[in-house]
Amino acid sequence: MSEDCNDEWELSKENVQPLRQGRVMATLQQALAQQETSTHTAVQLKKQEFESEIRFYSGDDPLDVWDRYIRWTEQTFPQGGKESNLAAILERAVKALNEQHRYYRDPRYLNIWLKFGNCCNEPLDLYSYLHSQEIGTTLALLYITWAEVLEARGSFKKADLIFQEGLQRKAEPLEKLQSHHRQFQSRVSRQTLLGLEETPDENETGLLGAAEPQRSSLADLKGRGKKKVRAPISRVGDALKASNQPRSFQTLTSQQLSNNLGFAVFDENSASAPEVPVLTPQPWTAPPAPRAKENELSAGPWNSGRRPRGTVSPGTGMSCPLPSFTPYVEESAQQQVMTPCKIEPSINHILSTRKPEKEEDPLQRVQNQQQEPQEKKEVVKYCKEKVYAGVEEFSLEEIRAEIYRKKAKQKAEEEMQAIAQKKEEIQRRIEELEKKLKEKENDKQQQLCEQLTEVLPPLGLQGFTSSSAPEVGEKQPHLQSESQGSEDAHLNKPSCSEEVIQSPDACPGTQRGKVFLDSEDEQEEQRDEASLGKKDGGLFPPLAPNTFFSIFDESSTLANQNISCSADQTQKSARRPLAVLKPSDSLTAKENIPPGASDELNGVEPLAEDAIVTGSYKNKTLCANPEDTCDFVRAAHLASTPFHGVVAQRVPAPAFSQSVLKENCLEPQSAPLNQETLVSEEAYNEALCVNKLSPILEASLEDTHSSGGSVSSGSSLSGVTQISAIKDLQIPEKLELAQSLPAGADSGGVSENITGDEVTLLSWGAEQRKKLLDPLPESLSAAPDLYLEPAALPAMELEKDVELGNETYSIKREYWSNEEYKMFFAISQLDAKGFAIKVYSQPVPWDFYITLQLQERLKTDFDQSFSEDCSCFLYPDGCALLHRDINRFTLGDVIRGCKSITEEVILLVVYNLLGVVEKLHKAEIVHGDLSPEVFFLGDRICNPFANDEMARALKIVDFSHSLDLRLQPRVSLPNSFPIAQTPHGKQLLGKSSLPYQVDLVGIADIVHLMLFGDHIQVYQENCIWKISQNVSKTFDNDFWSKLFGRILNAGGKSTVPLLRELREEISDMFDSCFQEHLRVSLLALGETFLLENLL
Amino acid sequence: MAKQLGRDQQGITLRGSAEIVAEFFSYGINSILYQRGIYPPETFTRVQKYGLTLLVTTDPELKSYLNNVVEQMREWLYKCIVQRLVVVISSIENSEVLERWQFDIECDKTAKEESAPREKSQKAIQDEIRSVIRQITATVTFLPLLETACAFDLLIYTDKDLAVPEKWEESGPQFIANSEEVRLRSFTTTIHKVNSTVAYKKDSFP
Repeated sequence: MSEDCNDEWELSKENVQPLRQGRVMATLQQALAQQETSTHTAVQLKKQEFESEIRFYSGDDPLDVWDRYIRWTEQTFPQGGKESNLAAILERAVKALNEQHRYYRDPRYLNIWLKFGNCCNEPLDLYSYLHSQEIGTTLALLYITWAEVLEARGSFKKADLIFQEGLQRKAEPLEKLQSHHRQFQSRVSRQTLLGLEETPDENETGLLGAAEPQRSSLADLKGRGKKKVRAPISRVGDALKASNQPRSFQTLTSQQLSNNLGFAVFDENSASAPEVPVLTPQPWTAPPAPRAKENELSAGPWNSGRRPRGTVSPGTGMSCPLPSFTPYVEESAQQQVMTPCKIEPSINHILSTRKPEKEEDPLQRVQNQQQEPQEKKEVVKYCKEKVYAGVEEFSLEEIRAEIYRKKAKQKAEEEMQAIAQKKEEIQRRIEELEKKLKEKENDKQQQLCEQLTEVLPPLGLQGFTSSSAPEVGEKQPHLQSESQGSEDAHLNKPSCSEEVIQSPDACPGTQRGKVFLDSEDEQEEQRDEASLGKKDGGLFPPLAPNTFFSIFDESSTLANQNISCSADQTQKSARRPLAVLKPSDSLTAKENIPPGASDELNGVEPLAEDAIVTGSYKNKTLCANPEDTCDFVRAAHLASTPFHGVVAQRVPAPAFSQSVLKENCLEPQSAPLNQETLVSEEAYNEALCVNKLSPILEASLEDTHSSGGSVSSGSSLSGVTQISAIKDLQIPEKLELAQSLPAGADSGGVSENITGDEVTLLSWGAEQRKKLLDPLPESLSAAPDLYLEPAALPAMELEKDVELGNETYSIKREYWSNEEYKMFFAISQLDAKGFAIKVYSQPVPWDFYITLQLQERLKTDFDQSFSEDCSCFLYPDGCALLHRDINRFTLGDVIRGCKSITEEVILLVVYNLLGVVEKLHKAEIVHGDLSPEVFFLGDRICNPFANDEMARALKIVDFSHSLDLRLQPRVSLPNSFPIAQTPHGKQLLGKSSLPYQVDLVGIADIVHLMLFGDHIQVYQENCIWKISQNVSKTFDNDFWSKLFGRILNAGGKSTVPLLRELREEISDMFDSCFQEHLRVSLLALGETFLLENLL
Repeated sequence: MAKQLGRDQQGITLRGSAEIVAEFFSYGINSILYQRGIYPPETFTRVQKYGLTLLVTTDPELKSYLNNVVEQMREWLYKCIVQRLVVVISSIENSEVLERWQFDIECDKTAKEESAPREKSQKAIQDEIRSVIRQITATVTFLPLLETACAFDLLIYTDKDLAVPEKWEESGPQFIANSEEVRLRSFTTTIHKVNSTVAYKKDSFP
């Protein structure tokens, strides 16, 4: 250890209070070092920790906290003093643990009391109090301390009595008490002996102290006396102890000095005593401290320490028979009048002001507090005990913070524990919801479709104008329609990234007129209602919690507000003003509010108490991006009540980001009505209104297009300036708002119900899926493996790395690709596992949906044949599916790679193939594009160690062309299946064929490919389809011809039993011999592929 | 003493060094006994030494005992065969060791009687000793209160193959279990170096 370290304690040794138990050097050094650098933060933190521990201690030993706190304080504040606040801590501890009888025998508790006693003016009072309360009366320490104090004051008899009491009570540890008693006795007897031997001398007090006279600190050194000037000498220490014994009045002096006051207070009154010539004897050399004097005067016994201080009459109480006291009093009184020294009286006064402090004796406070509870009347309405529990006052916020932290901690723990449970629960809920969905599916297919379609990015009002172009019954693909849309693209330009104009392709919106008429009628009705004063409870429809699948009922409009999400409502309502320039449409401006409002509700966290306390409330800047005026408008909305809700149409919130204007998609078939007028009117409106916006709103680019909608309402109403008109409209609009909204939704619903059938009949492809999955059904959006990615779909190329989620995958192989889909094989860079990545250029997670549906519908049957570990990354411009644990090769590879496949393998594959398709059909899902390429080889083939029972030979992950017949029951036209385009497909599949048959054709083709290496060729003979190849020539097994015969001629029969029968027939062939062959064949096959893999 | 003062100017010899160190032990032990209240304070008297007022015992028995020890120490110091002097303070009642003052002595064994005196002024040595004694006095700031009557014991560690003199006996080290140790200053005469340490019972405070 370096010497420097040592210096610290040595240099401030005078400032370190000795402790009975000693000090920890490390703490001492630290405390002293800290004191120098004045960095108290650590100490403060620790203190705070103790303070909060006191408040929130939940164990069964609160004394422990206090004990540690006190010990820590002692160690950390070597100087004691105000900073340590030790006295206050002790007082609080004593108060807090008051009446805790279990601690009465606890040495720690007694220790606190005794330490507290040192802070009291009169420890003796405290000891007798403890004694009377039976606190620590079984402990030797009480008696030892008590006796020590008494001894120090010279009350040897009393001290002895205390010892006797302790011995009598058998206070523990008894030996200690006894030894202390013995030592005490030996001290006393020695002193008595000395006192007898030595004739007390005035000047030579004490035996040995005589040689070096000691002076009490802070005593007055000023010469005194009129006749004889002499410095008052205050003897202290051994000198006094030794010499005072024989005289009772000397005891008094020793008491004063040993009173633990730190310093003897000079009292002029008593100090002036020597002036009296009579009072030459020694006792007055030491000026009695005022308090001690008072004590003596007021009462002999020590138990009245808190007697109120009356006027000082020092002489009265004095039991001492010395006559010198009476003149002493008068002397002091006189002195004030004729004092020769000017300083002293003032000092006297200053010092005497300390007297009232006596009233605040901490012991007294404690005792008072203990008596208080009985007479307590007021009821504290806040957690007072928490605020004042420790020494420091806690603010309510601090307490709340502490509670919050505790709660948060607890919560975190609970969360960790409950995470698995929650997962389960979520799973269950998903199932429930999907069940519900299934139940309602058939009834409300159209509605559902309508809502699911809104996957497309949001569109402002521009979308309306563009979609109002004549695109009747359009079924054109994307590109074409876009070009069409650009005919009226003056408005339709994809100006914002968010507003990619995909709408036109999807929105052959010609039903507009019809819809508008509907809504208009409804609105009129409602307006009437509203004007009649029907201010019913529908003022604020519950917009935020959208239940997507409530039943549409035209008659009860209010109930149906929930049908579509708020975004839909906005857009629907927004389009009305464009369509019809009736006064009724003035509503629209107001109608825009609800979505805006809901936006706010979503965006703003509830101001929970916890949030305030911890500041966990997201401090969101209102306008983070200066270019973005959305927040500004929102803020304006917040700030000023008359708000015309243009915000809503800007669609800034993420909730809208993927929705598209419903009209664009939903009215592909409506009859062209009034289109020309519509357009022109729109144009007119815009021309009219644009300039009349408030400058702020005008400046905000998001609002320019919406202004057409919002302002048109105003203009259409009165033809006057819009904004004022809007303002005027506020109240009635509000009234109508609630009703008009559902009406809008209903009207939309009506139209879509009508159109829906036709749509599905005509097109069930990508567009329909888009519709079906927009918004994402809850089962999908809540799926744990669905990740919504805000960024653009990463480019995927062969031999490149791609990052999905947080993992990076190297793409090793491209299976196939077309404009819309790509299928890759990738290897995770983390664990080198194989993945199949499917990329779809549209943000429609169809495969994922189908996989989830399969999982749900098949339950336990959902096995290795399907992708059991599938994640979906949904991007704004596409989606990627990640299938884990995929083997690299497909059935197609096998067919291409092997010249001839052994029959056993084929049987195995077909067996699995039939099983897979059977399961699909059981789940009412048609795959639609069965080909060798879509079947990945399962572990049964690729993994020689796989469990034969569990492992499947095939795995199917791709559902690009699949059809969910529960969701799309009306699709009866299998023409658009890829298989239907093949020669055999064209032959086999007629207009009236069931969708399931598509898969049968697929199976037949695959089997044919495996058997003969080329595609199936069929011909019809006596209304029975046959294959051109002669099966029996190649294979002696007649099973194949049977298989083809049945599959090709299934007709309208149900496919599931058929497939099962065929499968059972194969399994009948699985005997042990077969299994042996199969194993050999599989090994051979595996080797082939292994080699290929290596190459 | 006079002889030593005379030599003062020339430097430190082995004999003089042993003298100085032994003297330090005499005063050091006295100081400890007084400071720690092993004997009643009345039985001490003041002397001026090292520029300090030190207290030495007046108890004749204690005096002679200490003189005896110091004499022995001086001899061993001269022979450079002493390694350590320990003042053990233990409770009389249960003879539990409460404090342990340890003075480690490093002897320069190359120093011989006839070798040339070392260069170090006596004043410098005295200053060093003074700071050690001062520290002993200052230890009350952290040492625990000795609540029971205590006795003291002197242990001297010497080289191994030393015949135990009369009135001496072999003893254990008398360590304190769970102790806090504080190193004090050290001083050196260039021949003997004394490092002081005090160990005391650690409080249960964490």
